[in-house]
Amino acid sequence: MGSMLGDWPSFDPMNFSQLRPSDPSSPSRMTPVTYCPTHDRCQPPPNQVIASESRNILLRNMYKRTEDKLRSKRPASEILITDQGLKHPRTSTAESPF
Amino acid sequence: MFKSNNVTARIFQRQICTPAPGTSIYSARRFYENIVPSCTIYDVECPDHSFRKFTEDGLYLISFSRNHQDLIIYRPRWPSFSCKEEDCDTHELPPKAKKFEGFFTELYSVSLATSGELICKDFFLYMENNQFGLFATSTAQIHDAPAVGGAVQGVPCVEKITFHLLRMEDGVVLDERVFWSDYVNLAHSMGVFLYDDLLAIVSLRYQRIHILQIRDSGNLVDVRTIGEFCREDDELFLYSSVQSMANPDKSKQLHQMTMNHAANGLHHDRPAGETSFLSGIKQRLLSFIYQGIWKEETDQTLRMQCLKKKFYFHFQNYVDLIIWKVQFLDRHHLLIKFGSVDGGVSRNADNHPAFFAVYNMETTEITAFYQNSTDELYLLFELFCDHFHVSGKNSLYMNFISTHSNNIHNLEQLKSNKNKASSLSQFVKKMLSSLPFSCQSQSPSPYFDQSLFRYDEKLISATDRHRQSTDHPIKFISRRQPNILKFKIKPGPEAGNTDTRSKKISSFLFHPFLPLALSVQQTLFLQPAVVNIHFRR
Repeated sequence: MGSMLGDWPSFDPMNFSQLRPSDPSSPSRMTPVTYCPTHDRCQPPPNQVIASESRNILLRNMYKRTEDKLRSKRPASEILITDQGLKHPRTSTAESPF
Repeated sequence: MFKSNNVTARIFQRQICTPAPGTSIYSARRFYENIVPSCTIYDVECPDHSFRKFTEDGLYLISFSRNHQDLIIYRPRWPSFSCKEEDCDTHELPPKAKKFEGFFTELYSVSLATSGELICKDFFLYMENNQFGLFATSTAQIHDAPAVGGAVQGVPCVEKITFHLLRMEDGVVLDERVFWSDYVNLAHSMGVFLYDDLLAIVSLRYQRIHILQIRDSGNLVDVRTIGEFCREDDELFLYSSVQSMANPDKSKQLHQMTMNHAANGLHHDRPAGETSFLSGIKQRLLSFIYQGIWKEETDQTLRMQCLKKKFYFHFQNYVDLIIWKVQFLDRHHLLIKFGSVDGGVSRNADNHPAFFAVYNMETTEITAFYQNSTDELYLLFELFCDHFHVSGKNSLYMNFISTHSNNIHNLEQLKSNKNKASSLSQFVKKMLSSLPFSCQSQSPSPYFDQSLFRYDEKLISATDRHRQSTDHPIKFISRRQPNILKFKIKPGPEAGNTDTRSKKISSFLFHPFLPLALSVQQTLFLQPAVVNIHFRR
């Protein structure tokens, strides 16, 4: 499929030639075909597909903390400090919730 | 981005400069520093209605008649008049331009409430992409209603609550949903949350969360009901199992019950109180709490001690928790606030214990559980407040409301309040008491953007609540040019109030993107309200 912007005049003839509409039904949404590595120290894994996470960052955090708590034997307040690297006054674990 | 404060220079600069990636809306908003609603028409003669709010796309002004029976919709427009003089700017507006009708055109009036019912003036939700509006009418509240059919004792009862879905263009009622002998917290839309096309209605009385979908055709479709049952087929499975195990007489009774349920749909009174099971959501919650405490210790003796102290000792308290309020976090996750029965119906729930749970509707699992004083939840709230303020993907203006997660000034204010607080756990409780957020409760107007203007949040803010009215004008001061007053909003008559004894409350309705605002000042004694129009001349 020809690029929508591939034929327009631009400073560098190779500009925009890599862009392809990601969804044929909305051709104005362009995404680059590939991400190019900025260094050659190592190769990217083959057939790697980069997509955005469907779950938002708040839910990701909540799931991660719950998994950590259920997996490890450390109480929750310690996980909090290690994760964030911030100092927090500990809540008293002996305090009754009611 | 802009080097100059002059609007013409900014327009020229806009022609040649592109804003930094992802900041185009914020850059465009800087023009609101130049275009402000500085002109006020005091005590404009207008119909005696209760003006509620502008819709988020700015197309409609919602108002209700004083007798709470009719809905009247206006279209905001701009006054137009011509002046033949040479120097028009210095001239006063002609009397024709100073009328309410110059700014608003009545589109239609619909009678929503039948006899015995009243429209709930505090309730309104708007679905922007289809231009649908959701309104509620209800009959009078019955106090001390007996707790029958699975109802929670202590929660009031309303005989009939009706939700009306209207097409805002012409006022046609597309669908209705009625709740009989139920209680939904309609004040400030607290008991209902709209996210995209999904609606969550909390029945406090029967402890159910009804999830409905608003289709493009305007139909309200039931998706699921979370409460006694979590999955859609739980009820069927339960009754068919009981039916196959019981003797023939009993199985006939149960079969009849199942038929009744199938015939009457979701809102039939279930004999849920007669079963010995805890409700599905409660079971999920208790098992999540149990598992969390179980995993804390590896030593068996310590584990049992921990369970006894933290779980079994408080078991009945956990069982007695009721759902207070719900919001969506995304299409699959709900944030549910649990608390005691007393706190659920009282206005001030600060002293009552409260808990938050994140529930995944698809997997029917509880993902997280916090008490309302935990630092963990407060940290998430401080860092990711924007993700609690969910707005639909089609809503443009609602994504740019200033919160302490996206605005440095709000964050500084929050941190200063935190440092000034005498007790950290009280501060955390106070901040978390705003969760779950009520839907569409903040105005998207750029004049409330804390990066652009500084104003007294006790007198006016993006949250649409009535406030104590003062005679002094409320100042909006520029952030970037400190101490430069940009405009003032003064509710009430121009000369001030002659009657200083009676308490006055003000509410402010800001258009989402035009430099247009209404301030409504009323006393508590049903005197006609004083409405001012603030706009840019």
